[in-house]
Amino acid sequence: MVSSGQPAAPSFAAWAGSVAELCDAVDRLTPVAAALGVADASTAAWHGALYGKLRPQVSQEPLLVAAVCGGTNTGKSLITNTLVGSSISRSTPEAARTLHPVASLARGVAARTDLAVLFPGFRPVAWRSEADAVDAAASDVLVWREDPGGEQPERLVVLDTPDIDGTLRENWHRAELVRNASDVIVAVLTQQKYNDAAVRDFFAAAAAAGKTVIVVFNMVDWPRQRERIAGWLATFATETGVAAAAVYAGPHDFDAAEAGRITLIPLPELTPGGVEVPLAERLATADFDRIKRQAMAGAMRVVADPAQGLADWLDAIDRAAAGWRDAQRLLEREGRVQVELPAPPREIVWDEVWTWLEPRRSAVDLVVSGGYRTVGQGMSWAARRLGIGRTAAERKEDFAATELEALKRALADFIDRLDDACRRDERLGRLLGPRLATADRQAWYADLERRHEALPLVSDDYRTFVRTELDRFAAANPGMVKAVLTGLTVGSVVRPVMTLALFSAGAAAVPAAAGVLHHVLDFGVTVAAPLAGEGAVAAASQGIRPLIERLFAGWSAERGRILAETLHDVVLGDGVEEIGRLAASGSRPELVRARQLLVECSRECG
Amino acid sequence: MEPTNGSPSSTPAAEPDFAAFDLLVDALGRWAPAGPAWPPARRVKSEWEGVAPRLDKARLELSRVLVVGVVGGTGTGKSTLVNALAGSEVTTAGDVARPTTINPVVVAARDVDVSWLPLDAMQARLVRSDSPAVANIVLVDCPDPDTQAVVGAPPAEASKPSATNRNRDLLEAVLPACDVLLLVSTAQKYRSWIVAREVAAFAPGRPLLFVQTHASRDPDIRADWRKELESQGFDVPRIFRIDGVEAAARAAAGLEPEAGFRDLVAAIDGELAGRAARRVRRTGALDLAAWFTRQARGDLAASGEPVAALAAGVETERGRLEAILARSIGETLRANRSAWQRLIADDVVARWQGGPFASFLHVIAALGSFWNRVRPGTGVVGRLLAGQSVSGAGAPRDGGWKAVEELGLPAGEVEQSRSVLAGLAARAGIQEPLVGRARLDDAAAATATAALVDRAGAWLSAGIDRLVVERRGRVGRPAIHWLFEGLFSALLVTVLVRAGWNFFHGNLWEGKPVSGIGFLEEAIVWVILWGLLLRWLVFALVRLGLDRDIQGLVGSVASSRLVDPLLADFSSAASAVSTWIDEGTRLGAEGDRLAAACGETPGLGRLRRSAT
Repeated sequence: MVSSGQPAAPSFAAWAGSVAELCDAVDRLTPVAAALGVADASTAAWHGALYGKLRPQVSQEPLLVAAVCGGTNTGKSLITNTLVGSSISRSTPEAARTLHPVASLARGVAARTDLAVLFPGFRPVAWRSEADAVDAAASDVLVWREDPGGEQPERLVVLDTPDIDGTLRENWHRAELVRNASDVIVAVLTQQKYNDAAVRDFFAAAAAAGKTVIVVFNMVDWPRQRERIAGWLATFATETGVAAAAVYAGPHDFDAAEAGRITLIPLPELTPGGVEVPLAERLATADFDRIKRQAMAGAMRVVADPAQGLADWLDAIDRAAAGWRDAQRLLEREGRVQVELPAPPREIVWDEVWTWLEPRRSAVDLVVSGGYRTVGQGMSWAARRLGIGRTAAERKEDFAATELEALKRALADFIDRLDDACRRDERLGRLLGPRLATADRQAWYADLERRHEALPLVSDDYRTFVRTELDRFAAANPGMVKAVLTGLTVGSVVRPVMTLALFSAGAAAVPAAAGVLHHVLDFGVTVAAPLAGEGAVAAASQGIRPLIERLFAGWSAERGRILAETLHDVVLGDGVEEIGRLAASGSRPELVRARQLLVECSRECG
Repeated sequence: MEPTNGSPSSTPAAEPDFAAFDLLVDALGRWAPAGPAWPPARRVKSEWEGVAPRLDKARLELSRVLVVGVVGGTGTGKSTLVNALAGSEVTTAGDVARPTTINPVVVAARDVDVSWLPLDAMQARLVRSDSPAVANIVLVDCPDPDTQAVVGAPPAEASKPSATNRNRDLLEAVLPACDVLLLVSTAQKYRSWIVAREVAAFAPGRPLLFVQTHASRDPDIRADWRKELESQGFDVPRIFRIDGVEAAARAAAGLEPEAGFRDLVAAIDGELAGRAARRVRRTGALDLAAWFTRQARGDLAASGEPVAALAAGVETERGRLEAILARSIGETLRANRSAWQRLIADDVVARWQGGPFASFLHVIAALGSFWNRVRPGTGVVGRLLAGQSVSGAGAPRDGGWKAVEELGLPAGEVEQSRSVLAGLAARAGIQEPLVGRARLDDAAAATATAALVDRAGAWLSAGIDRLVVERRGRVGRPAIHWLFEGLFSALLVTVLVRAGWNFFHGNLWEGKPVSGIGFLEEAIVWVILWGLLLRWLVFALVRLGLDRDIQGLVGSVASSRLVDPLLADFSSAASAVSTWIDEGTRLGAEGDRLAAACGETPGLGRLRRSAT
């Protein structure tokens, strides 16, 4: 696989381009995935391989990164110091002291290479002393030093890493970042730790990503435990899938360790090829290109893994978006409230119609309708005197109070339905639940009251609407104005029923006077049968009825809009748009593109 | 089961606070499971279910020998140490494979009855030992926590041996039986995350001994380990440092143990055996109880504020609805002034008997009641004022809202209040079934509104009766009665005297013609008018200060808790939850007091608090 994974020169450039583009697509999808509630991918193996290995290294000088990794107090720092030939990382008898990776570079590498790109997640700082690695004040730094002796091979980078099983979880994370970037892992094991779950998991991931692993069994009771090592290694290999490229033993020697010395004995019987080469020499003389290619292909394999790779993440985005579409449908079904507004005081609409009619009427009409008016006024005066009638102002007051109550009931109903939807759909609960639970609901009702207070009974918008509607009607039916008069004289009042719905595309047409509505909070007004004068209107003409209904519906719609505004501006905020966006995010072009690129990348990589 | 050198079990607990501890455990046992159906209460309850058996056990088995669990990472020398303490190879130790110990080994002296140990559940093997080090304790060689795959790790392939490794699960089955933990560690493992996690889970209420092993190979890391343990919340009185291999070899060879090991054995004997066992067990139980209440209080502290906000919200909304109701009832009462007058006057008149004015008023009242029958009172208030029954006023079909709205409380306002409270309840995590839906369904609404109407009816009629009685006292006094009778009679008498003078003196004596029926007709008209004037005066007297009295009546809406039925679920939930929290806080303080008063166990470590 290693040789077949060697990309030819022109296709390598294409591959590098695809990897970069793939990363861009994933970058753009990451906030989408987070918003959708897809589990954070930054700790996933494919993410580490893609961002920790492939992206930084496709475009850089092919350095060979060798990292010394292992559990707490197993001698990683000591081994690193021995490998690089001087003490660059302090070795202490206390556990979990190395907090920051320390890299030893060949001369001139730091000037040529952007270490921040090569080791994403770290801030590279130049080495000052061996104490840099144990500096508790720093965070997320990578300490680097160019080899003063000039003996380090030009393309080799050797790193000491923090532990992978201690109580400081940050250390694990830092070690994982270094592991992702590396090509060669020097696995430092001990008889106490070689089968610990945390250790196994760490090295299993390295093996899965095609990294070359050199095993060092440290603190061996030499030579008593020499024959034990084969068994330990076999367990380790079975558990982690690591095929050790070479195996060394570090005899337990407390005094030597105190003095900063360690002897690593090659174990040719456990090393493929059986050659006995010191560890430092093995690293220096390794086939860098082969190891590098193998590691890159391994990383690509991790990214392309159908079960746990990038594809799985893209599928998760698809699934989450589908879940949001379900949630949207639920809201569409449940988030629908019928408001039964009280019948409006009739003169509210009629007065506007009269005003429009005034210049268009004949003298006879004026007399007749004037008569009706006088009689009507007389009757209502008498009714008021008897205490069974109300003045126009009182009627308006009554109407406003009843209307506000109807709107409040509708708002309460709506909130209750939203609560319910949030309980039934966990996604909705996450998105809208906190808003519903922590908001000051009294403020919602106060907002509705304020809007209701501020809305005049007849607004200029509505006047314009009436005039436009009547003009249009008169133009379309020149002979009908008289019929209108008949209808109006008898007077008919409709009882509006309004439906407010989230995401409902099929709501009845809303009159223009209702103003600009938000595209997700839709509402439609339907009108019940006229309460009075239906016969007369019907007799006069079928054509008038829709007109009258529209006039009343337009007026009611304007009333209902304040509820829609409260719902949108105060209760839901941008939550509903957010749900719409999330539900639509399954069809983002980046998703399709990412899938294509993934296929291309893994094909080009072989 | 008495230890061999046992203290007699009949010895009463010498500790003065033992009774208080018993009371505390009983109180916790009543409190924890009795929480409301509320998520934090459920958490406390399930936590308690884990703790309660241990507390019971600690009380019932006070004088049993202590079970000491030897715990630590794989390869740290647990089995070697157990062998050294047992004086022979009772459990396999070594470096051939990790993990070495799969099944736990229980080591006990020959005469110690361990039939109460759930060996099967622990999957443990029992070994008897004559070693003096284990004469007065039961020692358990536990499995390691580090070789089993970490929870949440990707499923291991079936071919891997670790896929079947259940050592940590096994450890978690063994540790509940242990009273004391003997934590073993090495230079490589004293900062192990997984060991720290497992120990922290089982340390509450279990005193600890700390032992660094591999003394002959590893540097002394005790100072750094102590720092690490203290950062995890442990009290660390001392850490022993031993070499298990050497100790086992010396024990096998019959040599004197070296100092570190001797100290450990001495500590086991001094701190864990005999009478000390009672103290350890009791201290552990107290620690556990205090730990439980601390955890519970920590959980509840965060919930307290939203619950208080809900309680305050109930008060606010109740006040708002009462204000609406009061305003509306006040308006209705004032608007029905004439009904009031009639009510009071009718009552006054009904009690005035004898005398022409009384008869006059009765006639008018009879005519008036006919009018009343023609115009029955409207609305609940109207019906009450008209002396009609209000019960069953609301049709249950519409949830009975009609009657409530007639009283002057619109359903929309009630729904607003319930919706606001539902939000506050949701923030406090209080949901069904503790509270009802924000929108009452018809059945629930019918019950609530019927209760409200009944209360309102009772309150109103009581208030009205009070006003009537008060005013009757003012108008219905005999002096007033006779004054009006006198005034009315004065005209009657004058007319009669005049008519009589005309008839007897004028007609019969002087022979003048009778002045005619015209005089009588006029006289009747004037008498009626005079009567009506006097009646108006009576009414004016009745009306005096009526508005103020109505205001007073309406002001008592708040104290009469009229709207309570509509918000009852929220107010009772808030009070149930906060009462329960308060009781928990009280018990927690008591637990802290007992734990603080309880004597230290100087040689043993303990977990004081959660890791920071």
